[in-house]
Amino acid sequence: MEKTETRVIVFTCNWNAYSSLEAAGVEGLSYPAGVYAVKVMCLGRLHPGLILKAFEQGADSVLLLGCPPGECHYGFGNRHAEEVFAEARALAHLLGIAEERLRLDWLDVGDGHAFVEKVTAFIEQLCSFQPSTLPPSH
Amino acid sequence: MPDPIKQTITRHRAYYCLECGKCTATCPVARQDSGFSPRRIVEEVVAGRAHAVLESPLAWACLTCRRCSEICPSDVHYSEFTRELRILAREIGHQGACTHGDTIHTWMRMMADPALKQNRLDWLMGDLQVSPTSDTVYWVGCLPYYDVLFRRQGFQGVDIARAAVRVLNALDIVPAVLADERCCGHDLLWQGDVNTFRHLAELNLELLRSTGARRIVTSCPECAYTLKVDYPAFVGNTGMEVLHIAELLSASDLLSAIRHLLSATRHPPSATHHSPSATYQDPCRLGRYMHVYDAPRQLLRALGIEIVEMAHAGKTSTCCGTSGWTNCGATSKAIQVERLREARATGAEMLVTACAKCQIHFLCAMDDPRLGAEIEMPVRDLITLVANALE
Ligand code: SF4
Ligand code: SF4
Repeated sequence: MEKTETRVIVFTCNWNAYSSLEAAGVEGLSYPAGVYAVKVMCLGRLHPGLILKAFEQGADSVLLLGCPPGECHYGFGNRHAEEVFAEARALAHLLGIAEERLRLDWLDVGDGHAFVEKVTAFIEQLCSFQPSTLPPSH
Repeated sequence: MPDPIKQTITRHRAYYCLECGKCTATCPVARQDSGFSPRRIVEEVVAGRAHAVLESPLAWACLTCRRCSEICPSDVHYSEFTRELRILAREIGHQGACTHGDTIHTWMRMMADPALKQNRLDWLMGDLQVSPTSDTVYWVGCLPYYDVLFRRQGFQGVDIARAAVRVLNALDIVPAVLADERCCGHDLLWQGDVNTFRHLAELNLELLRSTGARRIVTSCPECAYTLKVDYPAFVGNTGMEVLHIAELLSASDLLSAIRHLLSATRHPPSATHHSPSATYQDPCRLGRYMHVYDAPRQLLRALGIEIVEMAHAGKTSTCCGTSGWTNCGATSKAIQVERLREARATGAEMLVTACAKCQIHFLCAMDDPRLGAEIEMPVRDLITLVANALE
């Protein structure tokens, strides 16, 4: 069966990243249909289990979008997110998940165009993969 | 149709319960949490009120440490009884409170995917010798995974795997290690997820049988017990001898080989020679489940380490406080703190464990700014000590 769509879970923080997603919606910008956004108050709320669970439940890839360095609304959240991301990436590597399938990035507040660019670029680099590196169709 | 509750009661001898309460009196959980009583749970289930137990968080409180089984006059198999109740509880939608955000159970379930291709052998480098045609499989378990998750606590999981191979190599055993090994399923089974356990076991059995080896050596007591006892009971026999590495190394020929190697590497004793002291934590699966009490102690003595026993040791040893990565909380912490105080009271220089999980739990409990030095103590892994002594 042909894989029709790359399914991406995008974890966004409530502040910069989610406001950019909303801005994309308000401006009527379109982005790939396989993008499923999951809003958390802060990326620091994530732990490796949630990221692995996204893969377990059938995500082809996972993108974490938070606030730029130094701009976390809670002070330490994006530093913590970096630690969590490093652990999740190491676990994903053990589980045979190619490192291109998991990324941590940031967005400025309310930048709809940047949101669309980042998710599109993430999906495009994934599509350059051999299908065999993705899990079987669900 | 046979009633599964009745079958559970019969299979694990709950009908024989005398309601003496010895289990509750000796249980480390009940000692910290007066709401938990194994006696009362047996009584409730036998009296036909199993549904109340299945729906209660108390169904997930037991550590399955078998401390109570050592003392029960009626030989009620409380741990296995609990395990079956959990399987039934899960069927009606209940589960224990997972600690670590379900990270560990998630990777375990992910390993049940037959298409999985792991990168689990990155630690295998340098002069470690392995051979795919060996008659001995070294079963690594989830060590590379725990290594990632518990680095912050100072746990070095892959060093244990390296140490195991180093020790085997020093004794002229070149083991096979398997790139497609999966979690043995121990924690899922004991938390009632028997279906995923079966999937993992089937995949592992196929892999193990394809090696043509005659024995499996593990560094994890839980892997050893699962492969040896639960695989045959639930899915099938490996057809291979299964040993924890401490059991293997304490065989007389290997123990004398270790002594011989040590006499060659050790510096001659001087007048100021100080022999280190240690106290030893019996892991539940290695001790009460597999009755391996002497082997690790023999190994420590062979290294010239003096053993100072804790107040509860051997058959009466206290569990490290958490089991199956479930329900860790104030009760677990209280058990761990009490155990660490007991270990420190021996005056020994280090606490030695033969189970990675015991080590992780003690390291985590010690990371406590409030109690700090009161419970701090170096925790060392048994096989790593052996490997380092042989260098
Ligand atoms: S120790 Fe055994 S007989 Fe006594 S109450 Fe507990 S389960 Fe029943
Ligand atoms: S197995 Fe251990 S934790 Fe469970 S009831 Fe018995 S003594 Fe308590």
